[in-house]
Amino acid sequence: MGHSHSEHHVTPLSTYFTVFGSLIVLTFVTVGVSELGLPSTLSIIVAMAVALVKATLVATWFMHLIHDTKLNISLFLASLWFMSIFFIFTTFDMASRSNVMKMSGTFEFRQDRADANVAAGNVVVPEGIVAIEDAASASGH
Amino acid sequence: MSSENANQKHYHAFFFHTMEQQNSSHKLGMWAFLVQELLFFSGLFMAYIAMRYFYPETFSEVQTRNLLSIPMGFTNTIVLLTSSLTMALAVREAQLIPLQENEEAKLHRKRMIQLLVVTAALACVFLVIKYFEYSHKIHVGTLPGKFYHFAEWPIFTDSDGTVLGAIRPDGSIDVTSAPHIFFSLYFVATGTHGLHVVIGVGVILWLALRAKRGEFNGEHYAAVENVGLYWHLVDLIWIFLFPLMYLVK
Repeated sequence: MGHSHSEHHVTPLSTYFTVFGSLIVLTFVTVGVSELGLPSTLSIIVAMAVALVKATLVATWFMHLIHDTKLNISLFLASLWFMSIFFIFTTFDMASRSNVMKMSGTFEFRQDRADANVAAGNVVVPEGIVAIEDAASASGH
Repeated sequence: MSSENANQKHYHAFFFHTMEQQNSSHKLGMWAFLVQELLFFSGLFMAYIAMRYFYPETFSEVQTRNLLSIPMGFTNTIVLLTSSLTMALAVREAQLIPLQENEEAKLHRKRMIQLLVVTAALACVFLVIKYFEYSHKIHVGTLPGKFYHFAEWPIFTDSDGTVLGAIRPDGSIDVTSAPHIFFSLYFVATGTHGLHVVIGVGVILWLALRAKRGEFNGEHYAAVENVGLYWHLVDLIWIFLFPLMYLVK
């Protein structure tokens, strides 16, 4: 009777430790890659790929999805499906919106407002300001 | 055995036919909740994508200026991953508790309680490190929205409260710069995640107390398993938050 349901599946200790070891190694990988100074887009892709592998390990072995019912697995996958719809379609919207903003001069409008404030002498450069170039070289040490 | 039947009666509620049905219903309910959590957090991740899309230079500059502590974020990742392991092992000990109360049952229950306490302790370590990170940010002024007042990278706020951009050393304004928006995202995302960690500490200790009262065995451990699932989800979200907030230039 006890073997008839999936909840009774006891994962061997070695599996848990292997998964944990892989997660730690992947954490070192993701930090290591970020130190390489890859171009922005590439570094996002690598970081997200590593995070996806880590998330899959956690969901599959720590959350026992591998031994779970088809119903629970479908529920989980359905949420990923709806998340991707949300992300992809909202990104499409933003991509087209930035053209609209450029055409309607939203950024120029802000730039004009900023310039007007500079001309009126409203901008006070505070003490302790650090230019990005200086900050970059300071962080290099 | 009659004593075992009595136990079974005690474990499953009258509206379930069998223990199996109760366990699978509990788990389905938990997954429905977790799926909701994922969709809830996806809103925050979408906000990150949108703001990164509009202010790519700002997001890179936060990393170039080292405004987030990678060692602290890294340590917290290791701490959270370790707590996920101890939680998974605690669930495993619960599965191994035999139905009959004997020495073996006591041993596995004791180990389970120890693992739960270690998990809660690691969660507290995570929160303490988070506390140091937050207090540093409060001190230097890298705060969300209108609370932002970081002197090294100042922003200019117009008389009507609109932030027009960051002030350059030469006194001009860079309208593509919006560090106050990055820190809004940072505090909302890590704050919401931190709240989940706090709740996690509570429910994990609640399980430990129930186990101390002699509850749970290989048939009756749905609560342990479900809290485990919740805790792994908290870990899962951090797995994405850490590189996005601390690493990606």
